Amino acid sequence: MTSRIDETTSPAVGDVITDAPDHCHVLEQRRDDRFARVEPRGRRRHTARERAELLLDPGTFVEISPLRTAGASGSGVVIGWGSVDGHPVVVASHDAAVASGAIGAVFAETVQRAQRIAIDRGCPIVYVNDSGGARIHDGIHALHGCGGIFALNVEASRTIPQISLILGPCAGAAAYSPALTDWTIMVREQGQMFLTGPEIVKAATGEDATAEEIGGSGMHTRTSGVAHLEVDSEEEALDAARRLLSFLPSNVAAPQRVTAAVPADPAAVARLPHVVPDKSSIVFDMHEVLDGVLDAGERFEISPDHAPSVLTLLGRVDGRPVAVVANQPQARGGILDAKASVKISRFVEWAARFGLPVLTFVDVPGFLPGTVEEARGVITQGATMLRAYAEAESPVLTVVVRKAFGGAYIAMGAKSLGADFTWAWSGSEIAVMGPGGAVALLHRRALQASEDPDALRDELAADYREQVARPYLAAEAGILDDVIHADETRGRLVDALRLLAPGPVA
Amino acid sequence: MAEARAEIVANVWKLLTHEGAEVRERDVLAVLETMKMEIPVHAPAAGRVSSVPVAEGQIVQEGDVIAVVD
Repeated sequence: MTSRIDETTSPAVGDVITDAPDHCHVLEQRRDDRFARVEPRGRRRHTARERAELLLDPGTFVEISPLRTAGASGSGVVIGWGSVDGHPVVVASHDAAVASGAIGAVFAETVQRAQRIAIDRGCPIVYVNDSGGARIHDGIHALHGCGGIFALNVEASRTIPQISLILGPCAGAAAYSPALTDWTIMVREQGQMFLTGPEIVKAATGEDATAEEIGGSGMHTRTSGVAHLEVDSEEEALDAARRLLSFLPSNVAAPQRVTAAVPADPAAVARLPHVVPDKSSIVFDMHEVLDGVLDAGERFEISPDHAPSVLTLLGRVDGRPVAVVANQPQARGGILDAKASVKISRFVEWAARFGLPVLTFVDVPGFLPGTVEEARGVITQGATMLRAYAEAESPVLTVVVRKAFGGAYIAMGAKSLGADFTWAWSGSEIAVMGPGGAVALLHRRALQASEDPDALRDELAADYREQVARPYLAAEAGILDDVIHADETRGRLVDALRLLAPGPVA
Repeated sequence: MAEARAEIVANVWKLLTHEGAEVRERDVLAVLETMKMEIPVHAPAAGRVSSVPVAEGQIVQEGDVIAVVD
């Protein structure tokens, strides 16, 4: 049963008023008519209004214009505001019970009202999407309204966080608007995003495909990267939005959400010096490094299943929210490629916009070369990473934990791109290329002439590692700020953030 | 049927399984070598290996099947 509006603030709503004047009964009837249309259908668990209430702190949802209609039906969208962890948040929740949530002129005007309030008040907006797209009957007025939503998505992106939840099939404009927001969360086997659904695809091109194949959460969070998190239920999606907001300021000018500092997990700290294998070709789990450095507790990983050779996540250091970028050697060796570059650049650009310090943990063998990546435009995508780091105005701190070679060294938040402080662990290697490739190029003739080229190659590679690739050369040149032990990492980050983070030094 | 696929273009450095072998989920079936990194290929499920369509030293592309587990 829906708790329509919180009883503590509006005790009369929903109560039977026996001795009230007639006009009170008329209002009650109007409200009953409006609310009667919003029963959840299909896999849906909650009405549009319940979703808004579940997103926000209990009892804080205030609906705007609940009696608004579009002809004989409701507007098709529930808008209002409330709070998340006590901070104001605006919500626009599509009502799939009204014409499948189709975006008509009134619907669009209503969403735009919510967007305008969020932008003007400088508070986050969460879009709960469940809409078949533009309402055909409204013709050009529907398209004009959708374009207006997009334009406000873009305006909002300059100043406030925007999060999109996909809780039903979302076609056309209902898929494009999320793509203009910061992060998109989809419910497995319930939410889809596509230009058009199966029937129109069949009519347009003859292709037979299910809604899940065209725009399911698995495809979008793994392959396309259009969505950034896949969850199992509406409740999990709403909770994920709340957790994400807990790391973010209300707007680009608002203070960071600093909490009490929590030490890193002691077991992970004890393991930290032993996480990275001695042999540079052996993979490991970068999460173990992060566990030994970041505050213990909540993390929020963005796009965990897309381009998994790099990690992008939110965590805390010394209680301060931080945006963490890292190579993940355990997946595809931790390489950079076109998709990984886009994943990182989007994350860094966004984090810097909201003033979040960017912490980068590097163990990168390089950009993946070859025909496939070049054809994907890896040069252009890789350049977006250079741009994102070079433009970042929030603190940028970089730690090379094992190796950093070539253009990938630069792209992973190097000093030359404006990193505030850079460090490397004592066993790390930094060079134009790895020892194997460098020796093959530099000593080709000697290797060809050798009776035992494998032994010579190993010997030359060991020399190269010691004489060219050790981090001391970079530290002596001031390109690294220091060479450090693994277990000194957290302390360096804490000290640097106390210097660089906005606000008084603790 | 579950297929273990190459997650990246690479050289098949070591094959650690063969047709008919019983494997557990996450067992390492092969090690690929690319960018001087050793990339393990894990069994996607427990079962019997019915096919290993690659040989050591062969170059595989992203998505190529390394082994099939029934």
